[in-house]
Amino acid sequence: MTNNGRKIKIQVQNLTKRFGDLLVLNNISFNVYEGEFLCIVGPTGCGKTTFLNVLTKLHPATEGDIYIDGEPANPQKHNISFVFQEPSTMPWLTVEQNIRYGLEVKKVPEEEIKKRLNQVMELVGLKDFRNYYPRQLSASMDQRVVIARAFAINPDLLLMDEPYSQLDIKLRYYLEDEVIRIWREMKRTVIFVTHNIEEAVYLAERILILTPKPATIKKEIKVDLPRPRNFADPEFVNIRNQVTEMIKWW
Amino acid sequence: MNAKASPAEIFSRFLPLTSLLLIIIVWQFAATGGYFGKSLPSPVAVVNQFVDMLAEPVGKTILGGHIWASMRRVLTAFAVAVLIGIPMGLLMGWNKKAEAIIKPIFEIFRPIPPIAWIPLAILWFGIEETPKVFICFIGAFIPAVMNAYTGIRFTDPLLLDAARSQGANLRQLFKEVAVPSALPAIFAGLQNGLSLCWMCVLAAEMVGAEEGVGYLILRGMDMSNPAMIITGMLIIGAVGALIAVGLRYVERWVCPWKREISM
Repeated sequence: MTNNGRKIKIQVQNLTKRFGDLLVLNNISFNVYEGEFLCIVGPTGCGKTTFLNVLTKLHPATEGDIYIDGEPANPQKHNISFVFQEPSTMPWLTVEQNIRYGLEVKKVPEEEIKKRLNQVMELVGLKDFRNYYPRQLSASMDQRVVIARAFAINPDLLLMDEPYSQLDIKLRYYLEDEVIRIWREMKRTVIFVTHNIEEAVYLAERILILTPKPATIKKEIKVDLPRPRNFADPEFVNIRNQVTEMIKWW
Repeated sequence: MNAKASPAEIFSRFLPLTSLLLIIIVWQFAATGGYFGKSLPSPVAVVNQFVDMLAEPVGKTILGGHIWASMRRVLTAFAVAVLIGIPMGLLMGWNKKAEAIIKPIFEIFRPIPPIAWIPLAILWFGIEETPKVFICFIGAFIPAVMNAYTGIRFTDPLLLDAARSQGANLRQLFKEVAVPSALPAIFAGLQNGLSLCWMCVLAAEMVGAEEGVGYLILRGMDMSNPAMIITGMLIIGAVGALIAVGLRYVERWVCPWKREISM
């Protein structure tokens, strides 16, 4: 497995999750490299949400573990950011307070908080909206607050769970480009889960394809195309077809 | 409001006033027409009665004194209910064990109207201030507990996950996510509780009191003075409305994110 000389950031080892007799995740192991953009696709209902909840330690794994820089992952210690599918800004906090929240929980010094706030708000174009409440924003702006919040804590690992599935197609294209731009600027490690194959090929450096439940890794595909990527590029179409073929259940 | 109002808008803004005016006119005619004998005073008589009572004492004190007597009971009871009820509701909503212990008790007491406590309250506490405050306390306590409880219970699990994934510990989840998200529900409970409190104080005063707005109404009946009764009723309505408005201002101040969208 080549990795352009990058070091391993995240190790997922033998991750298994059972609910009673129901096996949802079956012995999943993979690595994510420092600063990598990894997409995970799988058929609907394959246990993606469970997978993410276990990865972020919101739920305990039945077996196996996740290591960040060689240490068992711990939300109180490591910076793990989660961008959820539904809007998850705190309605009672302003845009700025929402972004600050994680930094304050982590007891980042005030100087540093201010610096990062300015940086991410500039990056996602929310500077003029810092004192707005989420309900005063549109859906896409709200999701940008969540993305800003996620990047602000300089995450060791950023997990995105179908973050754009609720948005219309125009905004989705726009925010896909946005997230790539921010990712390149901030140089973070991203795991992006989606059921949209085209989205995965557009974004990912590497795609992991999951099998239907119980989920395990079926195949790994490298996407080595220049950015910005072109949906009509024959190579793009080729990879997309490859992934589609792999995910077919009919 | 910077756009100029069209004539139709101005008209619709005056509609409520028109209907009020209509009621007063009908009332005036009904009273002077003598269809109700002496038991329906005219609006003018009520206004005169009101002005009289501002300065002339009824029983022990003037109108202001009676209003204050009722308010004092309501505010005392309300303060105690809030201080005990909200922490109790929060605890019940957050802690499964506390919920299991406290909730069944509430399920029994909740459907009993506060007024049903009056006889027991009098037996227990006599006829002084305590039973009246106690009745009001029951009125405010139950909505305070129940709304704090449901407010916490209905905290969006996604927001809890979002905070947890950012490293928040249990105490922070409670203080910084569950409580703020429950605040609007808590305020709705306070709003309910305060108006219930105000109703309870009247009922308690009508059973036996020497001052208070409830006493005024009853005194009006004893003295066959319907103008005094109606004045009392209007005062009750006005004070109740003022209390509600006041609490709404407090809510807007505590929960600014609930404010109407306006730049």
